[in-house]
Amino acid sequence: MSEPLNDITKHVMGRIHTEQIKMRPRLYFILGSLATFVGLVMSILASVFLLSFIKLSLHGGGKMAEYKMDELLSHFSWWGPSIALASLLLGIWLLRQYEFSYKKNFILIVIGFILAIVAASFILDMSGLNEVMLQRSLFNSSFPV
Amino acid sequence: MQPIKQISDEAIVEQTRSSDQELYAILVERYQHKLLRYAQNLIHDEHKATDVVQESFIKAFINLQGFDTKKKFSSWIYRIVHNEAMNSIKKHQKEISLPEDFEFASSENIEADFEQQEIAEAVQTRLKELPIIYAEPLALRYLEEKTYEEISDILRLPIGTVATRINRAKVLMKHLCQSH
Repeated sequence: MSEPLNDITKHVMGRIHTEQIKMRPRLYFILGSLATFVGLVMSILASVFLLSFIKLSLHGGGKMAEYKMDELLSHFSWWGPSIALASLLLGIWLLRQYEFSYKKNFILIVIGFILAIVAASFILDMSGLNEVMLQRSLFNSSFPV
Repeated sequence: MQPIKQISDEAIVEQTRSSDQELYAILVERYQHKLLRYAQNLIHDEHKATDVVQESFIKAFINLQGFDTKKKFSSWIYRIVHNEAMNSIKKHQKEISLPEDFEFASSENIEADFEQQEIAEAVQTRLKELPIIYAEPLALRYLEEKTYEEISDILRLPIGTVATRINRAKVLMKHLCQSH
């Protein structure tokens, strides 16, 4: 074995023996994946509601439109996007520590993400769920128990 | 018990993380020659290449629990060396660029003109004259004998892009050989 190669084995194994380097626990990687997953799900949910909100603002004319918009804004669950952003940042930070591991098709992920948001907001709009939720929140704020 | 030579890399990783960290030395010994050659072809400096390989083995050990044993260990460790080498190049070296007026002609007859053996020999001697985006896939294909799929995994590029870069690298290599 040549000198530099001998050095590589000695150096690497020496640092393992002296415990200068340790394996990260499996939990670390599970947490990274989990945080990214939660972040993605929360981002999809937050984006669906934001998209739905934009649609409402675009075709929500009439006298009540401005009032409806203010109500929607004041009742929007801002903790959703906040958790989404925090989880995504944490997950990406944890995963970046070993991001060299596998090839990911980021274009497919982004396209899938956008399609999921558009499809979900379309379904939400068709089902009228956002209107029901808006009316419920308006009703609750008008007649507090 | 199976002789060590017959045990797969992935099985060794499994045992290293679950019971015996000493087994990691087998992986280091299995890959150090190949990785050092690969790093040297990218960096063109023996000492820096040694540092890169050393650092890569350390990073791989630290993150061994994150390795998916259903995938190939070799692609994983090459990927780590690639990242470390790119960091080292960014720190120390200027990128080699193509002449501005260079055009890639059709590569229809490149394979026929430039046979496998000739390519391997040319790659050995002229690799450092190529820009890194062409030099690296060419080295992986002809010096490390990786498949297009493995190169795609290591460089995180679509297989089509790998094929295009290798073809272009061969065109460049041919021009280099003809001009010398």
